[in-house]
Amino acid sequence: MHLALLELKAARGRFLLMGAVVVLVAALVGIVSGFTTGLGDDTVSALRRLSATDLAFSPDVKTDQFARSLVGADTLAAWQRQPGVRATGLGVALTRGTTERGVEVDLAAFGVDPAVFLSPGVERGARLAEDGQVVVSGKLADQGVRIGDTLTVDRIGVRLTVVGVTGSSAYGHVPVAYVTPATWQRIRFAVPGAQQATAELPYQYSAVAIQAVPGTDLAAVDRRLGTRTVPLADAFAAAPGYSGEKVTMTSIQTFLYLIAPLVVGAFFGIWTVQRQPELALLRALGASRRRLLGHTLAQASAVVVGGTLVGAALAGAVGLLLGAQVPFSLPAPTLAATMATVALAGLAGAALTLRRVATADPTTMLGAGR
Amino acid sequence: MSLELRGISVTLGHGDARVTVLDGLDATFAAGTATALVGPSGSGKSTLLAVAGALLRPDAGQVLLDGADLAALSERDRARARRERIGYMFQSGNLLGGLVVVDQLLAAASIAGRSHRQLRPRAEELLTELGLGHRLRHRADQLSGGERQRVALGRALLLEPALLLVDEPTAAVDRTQARALTELIVGTTAGRGCVTVIATHDPAVLAVADSAFDMAPSPPERLSA
Repeated sequence: MHLALLELKAARGRFLLMGAVVVLVAALVGIVSGFTTGLGDDTVSALRRLSATDLAFSPDVKTDQFARSLVGADTLAAWQRQPGVRATGLGVALTRGTTERGVEVDLAAFGVDPAVFLSPGVERGARLAEDGQVVVSGKLADQGVRIGDTLTVDRIGVRLTVVGVTGSSAYGHVPVAYVTPATWQRIRFAVPGAQQATAELPYQYSAVAIQAVPGTDLAAVDRRLGTRTVPLADAFAAAPGYSGEKVTMTSIQTFLYLIAPLVVGAFFGIWTVQRQPELALLRALGASRRRLLGHTLAQASAVVVGGTLVGAALAGAVGLLLGAQVPFSLPAPTLAATMATVALAGLAGAALTLRRVATADPTTMLGAGR
Repeated sequence: MSLELRGISVTLGHGDARVTVLDGLDATFAAGTATALVGPSGSGKSTLLAVAGALLRPDAGQVLLDGADLAALSERDRARARRERIGYMFQSGNLLGGLVVVDQLLAAASIAGRSHRQLRPRAEELLTELGLGHRLRHRADQLSGGERQRVALGRALLLEPALLLVDEPTAAVDRTQARALTELIVGTTAGRGCVTVIATHDPAVLAVADSAFDMAPSPPERLSA
Protein backbone atom coordinates (compact mmCIF):
# COMPACT_ATOMS: atom_id res chain seq x y z
CA MET A 1 0.00 0.00 0.00
CA HIS A 2 2.94 2.29 0.71
CA LEU A 3 4.00 2.02 -2.93
CA ALA A 4 0.46 2.83 -4.12
CA LEU A 5 0.48 5.93 -1.93
CA LEU A 6 3.92 6.93 -3.21
CA GLU A 7 2.66 6.69 -6.78
CA LEU A 8 -0.50 8.63 -5.93
CA LYS A 9 1.63 11.34 -4.35
CA ALA A 10 4.06 11.41 -7.26
CA ALA A 11 1.28 11.74 -9.85
CA ARG A 12 -1.07 13.80 -7.70
CA GLY A 13 -1.79 16.28 -10.48
CA ARG A 14 -3.15 13.60 -12.76
CA PHE A 15 -5.06 11.87 -10.00
CA LEU A 16 -6.56 15.15 -8.81
CA LEU A 17 -7.68 15.91 -12.35
CA MET A 18 -9.29 12.50 -12.61
CA GLY A 19 -10.78 12.91 -9.14
CA ALA A 20 -12.28 16.23 -10.25
CA VAL A 21 -13.93 14.51 -13.21
CA VAL A 22 -15.37 11.84 -10.89
CA VAL A 23 -16.58 14.60 -8.55
CA LEU A 24 -18.41 16.29 -11.41
CA VAL A 25 -19.94 13.05 -12.69
CA ALA A 26 -21.03 12.04 -9.18
CA ALA A 27 -22.43 15.51 -8.44
CA LEU A 28 -24.29 15.52 -11.75
CA VAL A 29 -25.75 12.07 -11.09
CA GLY A 30 -26.74 13.21 -7.59
CA ILE A 31 -28.36 16.37 -8.86
CA VAL A 32 -30.22 14.51 -11.62
CA SER A 33 -31.31 11.96 -9.02
CA GLY A 34 -32.53 14.80 -6.80
CA PHE A 35 -34.55 16.25 -9.65
CA THR A 36 -35.89 12.81 -10.59
CA THR A 37 -37.13 12.22 -7.07
CA GLY A 38 -38.26 15.81 -6.65
CA LEU A 39 -40.16 15.93 -9.91
CA GLY A 40 -41.68 12.54 -9.16
CA ASP A 41 -42.81 13.75 -5.75
CA ASP A 42 -44.16 16.94 -7.28
CA THR A 43 -46.20 14.88 -9.70
CA VAL A 44 -47.56 12.06 -7.58
CA SER A 45 -46.96 12.84 -3.89
CA ALA A 46 -50.72 13.35 -3.42
CA LEU A 47 -51.36 9.95 -4.97
CA ARG A 48 -48.67 8.35 -2.78
CA ARG A 49 -50.41 9.75 0.29
CA LEU A 50 -53.67 8.07 -0.57
CA SER A 51 -54.23 5.22 1.85
CA ALA A 52 -55.51 2.97 -0.92
CA THR A 53 -54.09 -0.21 -2.39
CA ASP A 54 -55.74 0.09 -5.81
CA LEU A 55 -57.68 2.48 -7.98
CA ALA A 56 -60.52 1.45 -10.29
CA PHE A 57 -61.04 3.54 -13.42
CA SER A 58 -63.59 3.39 -16.19
CA PRO A 59 -62.45 0.61 -18.57
CA ASP A 60 -62.38 2.59 -21.80
CA VAL A 61 -59.60 4.96 -20.67
CA LYS A 62 -56.03 3.75 -21.06
CA THR A 63 -54.07 6.97 -20.47
CA ASP A 64 -54.47 10.17 -18.47
CA GLN A 65 -57.12 8.34 -16.44
CA PHE A 66 -57.52 10.94 -13.70
CA ALA A 67 -58.65 13.53 -16.26
CA ARG A 68 -60.64 11.22 -18.51
CA SER A 69 -62.06 8.45 -16.35
CA LEU A 70 -65.52 8.75 -14.85
CA VAL A 71 -66.98 6.15 -12.52
CA GLY A 72 -70.61 6.44 -11.54
CA ALA A 73 -72.24 6.21 -8.13
CA ASP A 74 -73.82 2.84 -8.95
CA THR A 75 -70.43 1.38 -9.70
CA LEU A 76 -69.01 2.85 -6.47
CA ALA A 77 -71.85 1.37 -4.48
CA ALA A 78 -71.27 -2.00 -6.13
CA TRP A 79 -67.61 -1.89 -5.21
CA GLN A 80 -68.52 -1.04 -1.64
CA ARG A 81 -70.59 -4.21 -1.46
CA GLN A 82 -67.72 -6.48 -2.45
CA PRO A 83 -66.32 -8.70 0.31
CA GLY A 84 -62.72 -7.98 1.33
CA VAL A 85 -62.89 -4.48 -0.07
CA ARG A 86 -63.32 -0.98 1.29
CA ALA A 87 -64.10 1.55 -1.43
CA THR A 88 -64.67 5.27 -1.71
CA GLY A 89 -64.91 7.75 -4.54
CA LEU A 90 -61.94 9.86 -5.56
CA GLY A 91 -62.22 12.95 -7.72
CA VAL A 92 -59.25 14.70 -9.30
CA ALA A 93 -59.43 17.97 -11.24
CA LEU A 94 -56.92 20.70 -12.02
CA THR A 95 -58.22 24.21 -11.60
CA ARG A 96 -57.30 27.65 -10.40
CA GLY A 97 -58.51 29.89 -7.59
CA THR A 98 -58.13 33.31 -6.01
CA THR A 99 -58.48 34.32 -2.36
CA GLU A 100 -60.31 37.45 -1.29
CA ARG A 101 -56.87 38.96 -0.61
CA GLY A 102 -55.97 38.49 -4.25
CA VAL A 103 -53.66 35.46 -3.91
CA GLU A 104 -53.93 33.53 -7.17
CA VAL A 105 -53.06 29.84 -7.07
CA ASP A 106 -53.18 26.76 -9.25
CA LEU A 107 -54.64 23.82 -7.39
CA ALA A 108 -55.46 20.17 -7.88
CA ALA A 109 -58.87 19.62 -6.36
CA PHE A 110 -59.08 16.17 -4.76
CA GLY A 111 -62.61 15.15 -3.94
CA VAL A 112 -62.57 12.82 -0.94
CA ASP A 113 -65.19 11.69 1.51
CA PRO A 114 -64.19 13.18 4.89
CA ALA A 115 -65.72 10.24 6.74
CA VAL A 116 -63.60 7.48 5.21
CA PHE A 117 -60.02 6.45 4.66
CA LEU A 118 -58.95 9.05 2.10
CA SER A 119 -59.64 12.00 4.38
CA PRO A 120 -56.38 13.95 4.82
CA GLY A 121 -54.94 14.69 8.23
CA VAL A 122 -54.09 18.30 9.01
CA GLU A 123 -51.02 19.98 10.44
CA ARG A 124 -52.94 23.14 11.29
CA GLY A 125 -56.62 24.06 11.53
CA ALA A 126 -59.54 21.65 11.23
CA ARG A 127 -60.10 18.52 9.21
CA LEU A 128 -62.36 18.55 6.20
CA ALA A 129 -65.95 18.13 7.41
CA GLU A 130 -68.54 19.48 5.00
CA ASP A 131 -69.25 20.85 1.56
CA GLY A 132 -67.78 24.27 0.83
CA GLN A 133 -64.67 23.61 2.91
CA VAL A 134 -61.15 23.02 1.71
CA VAL A 135 -58.02 21.64 3.33
CA VAL A 136 -54.99 22.91 1.44
CA SER A 137 -51.54 21.49 0.92
CA GLY A 138 -48.68 23.17 2.77
CA LYS A 139 -47.45 24.38 -0.61
CA LEU A 140 -50.60 26.49 -1.05
CA ALA A 141 -50.08 27.87 2.43
CA ASP A 142 -46.53 28.78 1.36
CA GLN A 143 -48.03 30.69 -1.56
CA GLY A 144 -50.12 32.80 0.80
CA VAL A 145 -53.39 30.90 1.27
CA ARG A 146 -54.37 31.09 4.96
CA ILE A 147 -56.83 29.31 7.19
CA GLY A 148 -60.05 31.35 7.15
CA ASP A 149 -59.52 32.62 3.61
CA THR A 150 -62.25 32.25 1.06
CA LEU A 151 -60.87 30.67 -2.06
CA THR A 152 -62.99 31.25 -5.17
CA VAL A 153 -62.53 28.83 -8.04
CA ASP A 154 -61.92 30.89 -11.16
CA ARG A 155 -64.59 31.12 -13.88
CA ILE A 156 -67.12 28.93 -12.08
CA GLY A 157 -67.28 30.94 -8.88
CA VAL A 158 -67.39 28.06 -6.39
CA ARG A 159 -66.44 29.55 -3.02
CA LEU A 160 -64.42 27.48 -0.57
CA THR A 161 -63.52 28.24 3.01
CA VAL A 162 -59.99 27.21 3.97
CA VAL A 163 -60.32 25.26 7.21
CA GLY A 164 -56.98 23.41 7.48
CA VAL A 165 -53.50 22.92 6.13
CA THR A 166 -52.16 19.43 5.47
CA GLY A 167 -48.64 18.28 4.59
CA SER A 168 -47.01 19.17 1.33
CA SER A 169 -48.63 17.20 -1.45
CA ALA A 170 -48.94 17.81 -5.15
CA TYR A 171 -50.38 16.29 -8.29
CA GLY A 172 -48.93 17.11 -11.72
CA HIS A 173 -46.70 19.81 -10.17
CA VAL A 174 -49.80 21.51 -8.77
CA PRO A 175 -50.49 21.73 -5.00
CA VAL A 176 -53.50 19.77 -3.81
CA ALA A 177 -56.65 21.10 -2.18
CA TYR A 178 -58.95 18.53 -0.56
CA VAL A 179 -62.71 19.10 -0.86
CA THR A 180 -65.78 16.91 -0.37
CA PRO A 181 -67.03 14.83 -3.32
CA ALA A 182 -70.03 17.10 -3.78
CA THR A 183 -67.81 20.19 -3.88
CA TRP A 184 -65.46 18.44 -6.27
CA GLN A 185 -68.37 17.56 -8.56
CA ARG A 186 -69.41 21.22 -8.59
CA ILE A 187 -65.89 22.12 -9.69
CA ARG A 188 -65.50 19.27 -12.17
CA PHE A 189 -68.91 19.45 -13.84
CA ALA A 190 -69.92 23.10 -13.54
CA VAL A 191 -70.38 25.07 -16.73
CA PRO A 192 -67.69 27.73 -16.90
CA GLY A 193 -69.14 31.22 -16.78
CA ALA A 194 -72.48 30.14 -15.33
CA GLN A 195 -73.57 32.17 -12.32
CA GLN A 196 -74.60 29.03 -10.48
CA ALA A 197 -73.53 25.47 -10.66
CA THR A 198 -75.44 23.22 -13.00
CA ALA A 199 -78.72 22.21 -11.35
CA GLU A 200 -78.17 18.49 -11.50
CA LEU A 201 -74.54 17.51 -11.28
CA PRO A 202 -73.51 13.99 -12.33
CA TYR A 203 -72.85 11.86 -9.30
CA GLN A 204 -69.55 10.62 -10.60
CA TYR A 205 -65.87 10.31 -9.62
CA SER A 206 -62.55 10.04 -11.39
CA ALA A 207 -61.92 6.67 -9.78
CA VAL A 208 -62.87 4.34 -7.00
CA ALA A 209 -60.18 4.18 -4.31
CA ILE A 210 -59.92 0.68 -2.90
CA GLN A 211 -58.45 -0.88 0.19
CA ALA A 212 -58.40 -4.57 -0.63
CA VAL A 213 -57.56 -7.49 1.61
CA PRO A 214 -54.58 -9.33 0.09
CA GLY A 215 -55.72 -12.12 -2.18
CA THR A 216 -58.95 -10.45 -3.20
CA ASP A 217 -59.68 -11.19 -6.85
CA LEU A 218 -60.04 -7.62 -8.08
CA ALA A 219 -59.95 -8.71 -11.73
CA ALA A 220 -63.11 -10.75 -11.19
CA VAL A 221 -64.79 -7.70 -9.65
CA ASP A 222 -63.63 -5.61 -12.61
CA ARG A 223 -65.26 -8.08 -14.99
CA ARG A 224 -68.53 -7.95 -13.12
CA LEU A 225 -68.62 -4.17 -12.59
CA GLY A 226 -67.04 -3.01 -15.82
CA THR A 227 -64.06 -1.19 -14.32
CA ARG A 228 -60.31 -1.40 -14.78
CA THR A 229 -58.38 -1.68 -11.53
CA VAL A 230 -54.68 -0.96 -11.19
CA PRO A 231 -52.42 -0.98 -8.13
CA LEU A 232 -51.89 2.48 -6.68
CA ALA A 233 -48.22 2.64 -7.77
CA ASP A 234 -49.19 1.75 -11.34
CA ALA A 235 -51.71 4.59 -11.32
CA PHE A 236 -48.86 7.09 -10.95
CA ALA A 237 -48.31 6.78 -14.68
CA ALA A 238 -51.76 8.31 -15.13
CA ALA A 239 -50.58 11.56 -13.54
CA PRO A 240 -49.82 14.27 -16.11
CA GLY A 241 -46.21 14.17 -17.30
CA TYR A 242 -45.13 11.51 -14.82
CA SER A 243 -44.04 8.86 -17.33
CA GLY A 244 -42.35 11.34 -19.66
CA GLU A 245 -40.41 12.99 -16.87
CA LYS A 246 -39.39 9.67 -15.40
CA VAL A 247 -38.16 8.32 -18.74
CA THR A 248 -36.24 11.53 -19.45
CA MET A 249 -34.55 11.76 -16.07
CA THR A 250 -33.85 8.03 -15.91
CA SER A 251 -32.28 8.21 -19.38
CA ILE A 252 -29.98 11.01 -18.26
CA GLN A 253 -29.03 9.04 -15.16
CA THR A 254 -28.41 5.90 -17.18
CA PHE A 255 -26.12 7.76 -19.57
CA LEU A 256 -24.21 9.19 -16.64
CA TYR A 257 -23.84 5.70 -15.19
CA LEU A 258 -22.41 4.63 -18.55
CA ILE A 259 -20.17 7.67 -18.81
CA ALA A 260 -18.65 7.14 -15.35
CA PRO A 261 -16.93 3.80 -16.11
CA LEU A 262 -15.89 4.99 -19.55
CA VAL A 263 -14.21 8.12 -18.19
CA VAL A 264 -12.53 6.31 -15.30
CA GLY A 265 -11.62 3.37 -17.54
CA ALA A 266 -10.13 5.70 -20.17
CA PHE A 267 -8.05 7.49 -17.54
CA PHE A 268 -6.71 4.33 -15.98
CA GLY A 269 -6.24 2.80 -19.44
CA ILE A 270 -3.99 5.70 -20.51
CA TRP A 271 -2.33 5.76 -17.09
CA THR A 272 -1.56 2.05 -17.35
CA VAL A 273 -0.20 2.32 -20.89
CA GLN A 274 2.02 5.23 -19.81
CA ARG A 275 3.40 3.30 -16.87
CA GLN A 276 4.00 -0.01 -18.63
CA PRO A 277 7.79 0.45 -18.29
CA GLU A 278 7.38 1.16 -14.58
CA LEU A 279 5.08 -1.82 -14.16
CA ALA A 280 7.72 -3.95 -15.90
CA LEU A 281 10.35 -2.51 -13.55
CA LEU A 282 8.23 -3.30 -10.50
CA ARG A 283 7.68 -6.83 -11.76
CA ALA A 284 11.41 -7.19 -12.36
CA LEU A 285 12.08 -6.05 -8.81
CA GLY A 286 9.86 -8.85 -7.60
CA ALA A 287 6.42 -7.29 -7.25
CA SER A 288 3.81 -10.00 -7.69
CA ARG A 289 0.92 -9.61 -10.10
CA ARG A 290 -1.44 -9.67 -7.16
CA ARG A 291 0.40 -6.80 -5.51
CA LEU A 292 0.34 -4.68 -8.67
CA LEU A 293 -3.35 -5.38 -9.18
CA GLY A 294 -3.96 -4.48 -5.55
CA HIS A 295 -2.06 -1.22 -5.97
CA THR A 296 -4.01 -0.32 -9.09
CA LEU A 297 -7.33 -1.09 -7.41
CA ALA A 298 -6.31 0.86 -4.32
CA GLN A 299 -5.44 3.88 -6.45
CA ALA A 300 -8.67 3.58 -8.43
CA SER A 301 -10.65 3.22 -5.21
CA ALA A 302 -9.03 6.31 -3.72
CA VAL A 303 -9.87 8.37 -6.80
CA VAL A 304 -13.36 6.94 -7.38
CA VAL A 305 -14.54 6.72 -3.77
CA GLY A 306 -12.97 10.06 -2.80
CA GLY A 307 -14.40 11.75 -5.90
CA THR A 308 -17.80 10.20 -5.31
CA LEU A 309 -17.93 11.34 -1.69
CA VAL A 310 -17.06 14.90 -2.66
CA GLY A 311 -19.59 14.71 -5.51
CA ALA A 312 -22.24 13.51 -3.05
CA ALA A 313 -21.50 16.43 -0.76
CA LEU A 314 -21.71 18.78 -3.74
CA ALA A 315 -25.09 17.36 -4.83
CA GLY A 316 -26.36 17.65 -1.26
CA ALA A 317 -25.17 21.25 -1.10
CA VAL A 318 -26.95 22.03 -4.35
CA GLY A 319 -30.13 20.58 -2.85
CA LEU A 320 -29.78 22.80 0.21
CA LEU A 321 -29.13 25.88 -1.93
CA LEU A 322 -32.16 25.20 -4.10
CA GLY A 323 -34.38 24.80 -1.05
CA ALA A 324 -38.07 24.50 -1.75
CA GLN A 325 -37.95 26.71 -4.83
CA VAL A 326 -37.64 23.82 -7.24
CA PRO A 327 -38.82 20.21 -7.08
CA PHE A 328 -35.59 18.70 -5.74
CA SER A 329 -35.50 15.87 -3.24
CA LEU A 330 -32.42 13.87 -2.33
CA PRO A 331 -33.04 11.80 0.80
CA ALA A 332 -30.00 10.08 2.31
CA PRO A 333 -30.90 6.53 1.15
CA THR A 334 -31.38 7.76 -2.43
CA LEU A 335 -28.11 9.69 -2.33
CA ALA A 336 -26.28 6.69 -0.87
CA ALA A 337 -27.68 4.29 -3.46
CA THR A 338 -26.92 6.69 -6.32
CA MET A 339 -23.36 7.31 -5.18
CA ALA A 340 -22.74 3.61 -4.61
CA THR A 341 -23.79 3.00 -8.21
CA VAL A 342 -21.45 5.73 -9.45
CA ALA A 343 -18.58 4.30 -7.41
CA LEU A 344 -19.22 0.76 -8.63
CA ALA A 345 -19.49 1.96 -12.23
CA GLY A 346 -16.21 3.86 -11.85
CA LEU A 347 -14.43 0.88 -10.32
CA ALA A 348 -15.80 -1.32 -13.09
CA GLY A 349 -14.17 1.08 -15.56
CA ALA A 350 -10.86 0.86 -13.70
CA ALA A 351 -11.13 -2.92 -13.64
CA LEU A 352 -11.07 -2.94 -17.44
CA THR A 353 -7.39 -1.99 -17.28
CA LEU A 354 -6.34 -4.75 -14.90
CA ARG A 355 -5.44 -7.23 -17.61
CA ARG A 356 -2.79 -4.87 -18.94
CA VAL A 357 -1.42 -4.41 -15.42
CA ALA A 358 -1.26 -8.16 -14.90
CA THR A 359 0.57 -8.79 -18.16
CA ALA A 360 3.44 -6.31 -17.64
CA ASP A 361 6.56 -8.19 -18.78
CA PRO A 362 9.62 -7.88 -16.52
CA THR A 363 11.99 -9.23 -19.17
CA THR A 364 11.53 -6.03 -21.19
CA MET A 365 13.75 -4.34 -18.61
CA LEU A 366 16.67 -6.31 -20.05
CA GLY A 367 15.44 -6.52 -23.59
CA ALA A 368 15.84 -10.25 -23.19
CA GLY A 369 12.36 -11.22 -24.25
CA ARG A 370 12.69 -9.72 -27.70
CA MET B 1 27.88 -18.00 -1.89
CA SER B 2 28.00 -18.49 -5.66
CA LEU B 3 26.00 -18.49 -8.83
CA GLU B 4 26.32 -21.53 -11.05
CA LEU B 5 24.68 -21.93 -14.45
CA ARG B 6 24.53 -25.48 -15.76
CA GLY B 7 23.54 -26.40 -19.32
CA ILE B 8 21.43 -23.29 -19.85
CA SER B 9 19.57 -23.20 -23.17
CA VAL B 10 17.21 -20.45 -24.23
CA THR B 11 15.39 -20.13 -27.54
CA LEU B 12 13.43 -16.97 -28.24
CA GLY B 13 10.89 -16.02 -30.91
CA HIS B 14 8.39 -18.06 -32.88
CA GLY B 15 8.33 -19.85 -36.22
CA ASP B 16 10.95 -18.63 -38.66
CA ALA B 17 12.04 -15.99 -36.14
CA ARG B 18 13.14 -18.56 -33.56
CA VAL B 19 16.69 -17.99 -32.40
CA THR B 20 18.73 -20.07 -29.99
CA VAL B 21 20.37 -17.44 -27.81
CA LEU B 22 22.02 -19.67 -25.22
CA ASP B 23 22.90 -23.26 -26.02
CA GLY B 24 24.01 -25.42 -23.12
CA LEU B 25 25.86 -22.62 -21.35
CA ASP B 26 27.89 -23.47 -18.25
CA ALA B 27 29.33 -20.76 -16.05
CA THR B 28 30.23 -20.16 -12.43
CA PHE B 29 30.42 -16.77 -10.70
CA ALA B 30 32.05 -16.52 -7.30
CA ALA B 31 30.94 -14.47 -4.32
CA GLY B 32 32.73 -11.16 -3.73
CA THR B 33 33.75 -10.85 -7.38
CA ALA B 34 32.39 -8.70 -10.17
CA THR B 35 32.40 -10.43 -13.55
CA ALA B 36 32.03 -8.47 -16.78
CA LEU B 37 29.94 -10.16 -19.47
CA VAL B 38 31.25 -9.03 -22.83
CA GLY B 39 30.40 -9.81 -26.40
CA PRO B 40 28.67 -8.28 -29.40
CA SER B 41 24.99 -7.34 -29.42
CA GLY B 42 22.85 -10.43 -29.75
CA SER B 43 25.43 -12.71 -28.15
CA GLY B 44 23.11 -13.39 -25.21
CA LYS B 45 24.43 -11.11 -22.45
CA SER B 46 21.01 -9.73 -21.51
CA THR B 47 19.43 -13.16 -21.82
CA LEU B 48 22.03 -14.57 -19.46
CA LEU B 49 21.24 -11.80 -16.97
CA ALA B 50 17.50 -12.48 -17.34
CA VAL B 51 17.99 -16.19 -16.70
CA ALA B 52 20.40 -15.65 -13.81
CA GLY B 53 18.04 -13.09 -12.30
CA ALA B 54 14.96 -15.34 -12.42
CA LEU B 55 13.28 -13.05 -14.92
CA LEU B 56 13.30 -15.67 -17.64
CA ARG B 57 12.95 -19.43 -17.21
CA PRO B 58 15.45 -21.27 -19.44
CA ASP B 59 14.25 -24.01 -21.78
CA ALA B 60 16.81 -26.28 -20.16
CA GLY B 61 19.44 -26.15 -17.45
CA GLN B 62 19.84 -25.09 -13.85
CA VAL B 63 20.41 -21.70 -12.23
CA LEU B 64 21.93 -22.47 -8.84
CA LEU B 65 22.14 -19.59 -6.40
CA ASP B 66 23.73 -20.95 -3.25
CA GLY B 67 22.68 -24.39 -4.40
CA ALA B 68 18.98 -23.54 -4.90
CA ASP B 69 17.76 -23.93 -8.48
CA LEU B 70 15.96 -20.72 -9.49
CA ALA B 71 14.92 -22.27 -12.83
CA ALA B 72 12.87 -24.89 -11.05
CA LEU B 73 10.85 -22.40 -9.03
CA SER B 74 7.26 -21.41 -9.77
CA GLU B 75 6.65 -17.92 -11.12
CA ARG B 76 5.54 -16.81 -7.68
CA ASP B 77 8.68 -18.13 -6.01
CA ARG B 78 10.89 -16.63 -8.69
CA ALA B 79 9.26 -13.25 -7.99
CA ARG B 80 10.02 -13.77 -4.30
CA ALA B 81 13.63 -14.62 -5.12
CA ARG B 82 13.91 -11.44 -7.18
CA ARG B 83 12.65 -9.20 -4.39
CA GLU B 84 14.54 -10.92 -1.55
CA ARG B 85 17.82 -12.22 -2.98
CA ILE B 86 18.60 -10.40 -6.20
CA GLY B 87 19.46 -6.76 -6.90
CA TYR B 88 19.20 -5.22 -10.35
CA MET B 89 20.64 -2.23 -12.14
CA PHE B 90 19.12 -1.87 -15.58
CA GLN B 91 20.53 0.07 -18.49
CA SER B 92 17.60 2.49 -18.56
CA GLY B 93 14.18 3.02 -17.06
CA ASN B 94 15.60 2.14 -13.70
CA LEU B 95 13.69 4.63 -11.62
CA LEU B 96 10.02 5.24 -10.92
CA GLY B 97 8.92 8.60 -12.32
CA GLY B 98 7.92 11.26 -9.84
CA LEU B 99 9.39 9.56 -6.76
CA VAL B 100 12.17 11.27 -4.83
CA VAL B 101 15.48 9.48 -4.46
CA VAL B 102 14.95 8.02 -1.00
CA ASP B 103 11.49 6.77 -2.00
CA GLN B 104 13.02 4.92 -4.96
CA LEU B 105 14.77 2.72 -2.40
CA LEU B 106 11.80 2.49 -0.06
CA ALA B 107 9.58 1.38 -2.96
CA ALA B 108 11.79 -1.70 -3.30
CA ALA B 109 11.47 -2.26 0.44
CA SER B 110 7.67 -2.07 0.13
CA ILE B 111 7.70 -4.60 -2.70
CA ALA B 112 9.66 -6.96 -0.47
CA GLY B 113 7.11 -6.47 2.29
CA ARG B 114 9.63 -4.72 4.53
CA SER B 115 8.83 -1.76 6.75
CA HIS B 116 9.67 1.45 4.93
CA ARG B 117 9.80 3.26 8.26
CA GLN B 118 12.45 0.91 9.64
CA LEU B 119 14.48 0.93 6.44
CA ARG B 120 14.41 4.70 5.86
CA PRO B 121 17.53 5.40 7.99
CA ARG B 122 19.41 2.58 6.24
CA ALA B 123 18.30 3.89 2.82
CA GLU B 124 19.49 7.41 3.63
CA GLU B 125 22.79 6.08 4.98
CA LEU B 126 23.33 3.96 1.87
CA LEU B 127 22.57 6.86 -0.45
CA THR B 128 25.00 9.02 1.49
CA GLU B 129 27.65 6.32 1.07
CA LEU B 130 26.98 6.44 -2.68
CA GLY B 131 27.50 10.20 -2.72
CA LEU B 132 23.83 11.11 -2.94
CA GLY B 133 23.33 12.48 0.57
CA HIS B 134 22.49 15.89 -0.87
CA ARG B 135 19.98 14.42 -3.34
CA LEU B 136 17.65 12.49 -1.04
CA ARG B 137 14.61 14.68 -1.77
CA HIS B 138 15.25 15.16 -5.49
CA ARG B 139 13.09 13.51 -8.12
CA ALA B 140 14.58 11.17 -10.72
CA ASP B 141 14.22 13.75 -13.49
CA GLN B 142 16.40 16.16 -11.51
CA LEU B 143 19.38 13.79 -11.49
CA SER B 144 22.23 13.21 -13.93
CA GLY B 145 22.65 9.86 -15.67
CA GLY B 146 25.39 8.82 -13.26
CA GLU B 147 23.34 9.82 -10.23
CA ARG B 148 20.39 7.81 -11.49
CA GLN B 149 22.59 4.75 -11.83
CA ARG B 150 23.89 5.25 -8.29
CA VAL B 151 20.29 5.47 -7.03
CA ALA B 152 19.58 2.20 -8.84
CA LEU B 153 22.68 0.69 -7.22
CA GLY B 154 21.48 1.86 -3.82
CA ARG B 155 18.07 0.31 -4.43
CA ALA B 156 19.69 -2.95 -5.54
CA LEU B 157 21.85 -3.07 -2.39
CA LEU B 158 19.28 -1.97 0.19
CA LEU B 159 18.10 -5.47 1.04
CA GLU B 160 21.61 -7.02 0.97
CA PRO B 161 21.17 -9.21 -2.11
CA ALA B 162 23.14 -12.40 -2.71
CA LEU B 163 23.28 -11.61 -6.42
CA LEU B 164 23.74 -8.22 -8.11
CA LEU B 165 22.97 -8.09 -11.82
CA VAL B 166 23.99 -5.00 -13.76
CA ASP B 167 23.08 -4.26 -17.37
CA GLU B 168 25.23 -1.71 -19.25
CA PRO B 169 25.69 0.59 -16.25
CA THR B 170 27.89 3.09 -18.10
CA ALA B 171 25.89 3.43 -21.31
CA ALA B 172 24.43 6.81 -20.38
CA VAL B 173 27.33 8.39 -18.49
CA ASP B 174 30.59 10.06 -19.45
CA ARG B 175 33.99 8.35 -19.24
CA THR B 176 34.90 9.79 -15.82
CA GLN B 177 31.57 8.86 -14.28
CA ALA B 178 31.72 5.47 -15.95
CA ARG B 179 34.98 4.58 -14.25
CA ALA B 180 33.81 5.94 -10.88
CA LEU B 181 30.54 4.02 -11.13
CA THR B 182 32.27 0.79 -12.11
CA GLU B 183 34.74 1.13 -9.25
CA LEU B 184 31.82 1.71 -6.92
CA ILE B 185 30.08 -1.46 -8.11
CA VAL B 186 33.23 -3.56 -7.93
CA GLY B 187 34.19 -2.14 -4.54
CA THR B 188 30.70 -2.73 -3.19
CA THR B 189 30.80 -6.31 -4.44
CA ALA B 190 34.03 -7.00 -2.60
CA GLY B 191 32.79 -5.27 0.53
CA ARG B 192 29.47 -7.10 0.68
CA GLY B 193 30.52 -10.44 -0.66
CA CYS B 194 27.75 -10.72 -3.21
CA VAL B 195 27.99 -12.25 -6.67
CA THR B 196 28.01 -9.48 -9.28
CA VAL B 197 27.57 -9.91 -13.03
CA ILE B 198 27.85 -6.87 -15.30
CA ALA B 199 26.80 -6.99 -18.94
CA THR B 200 28.77 -4.36 -20.81
CA HIS B 201 30.33 -3.13 -24.06
CA ASP B 202 32.51 -0.67 -22.16
CA PRO B 203 36.27 -1.43 -22.02
CA ALA B 204 36.40 0.72 -18.85
CA VAL B 205 34.22 -1.80 -17.06
CA LEU B 206 36.30 -4.66 -18.37
CA ALA B 207 39.40 -2.95 -17.01
CA VAL B 208 38.00 -2.61 -13.50
CA ALA B 209 36.03 -5.89 -13.17
CA ASP B 210 37.55 -8.81 -11.30
CA SER B 211 37.07 -11.14 -14.25
CA ALA B 212 35.34 -11.34 -17.61
CA PHE B 213 33.19 -13.80 -19.51
CA ASP B 214 33.13 -13.55 -23.29
CA MET B 215 29.80 -14.46 -24.86
CA ALA B 216 31.08 -14.25 -28.46
CA PRO B 217 32.65 -17.69 -28.88
CA SER B 218 30.58 -20.84 -28.85
CA PRO B 219 30.70 -21.98 -26.17
CA PRO B 220 31.33 -18.70 -24.27
CA GLU B 221 34.57 -18.67 -22.35
CA ARG B 222 36.04 -17.00 -19.30
CA LEU B 223 38.78 -14.49 -20.09
CA SER B 224 41.86 -14.31 -18.00
CA ALA B 225 41.97 -11.38 -15.57
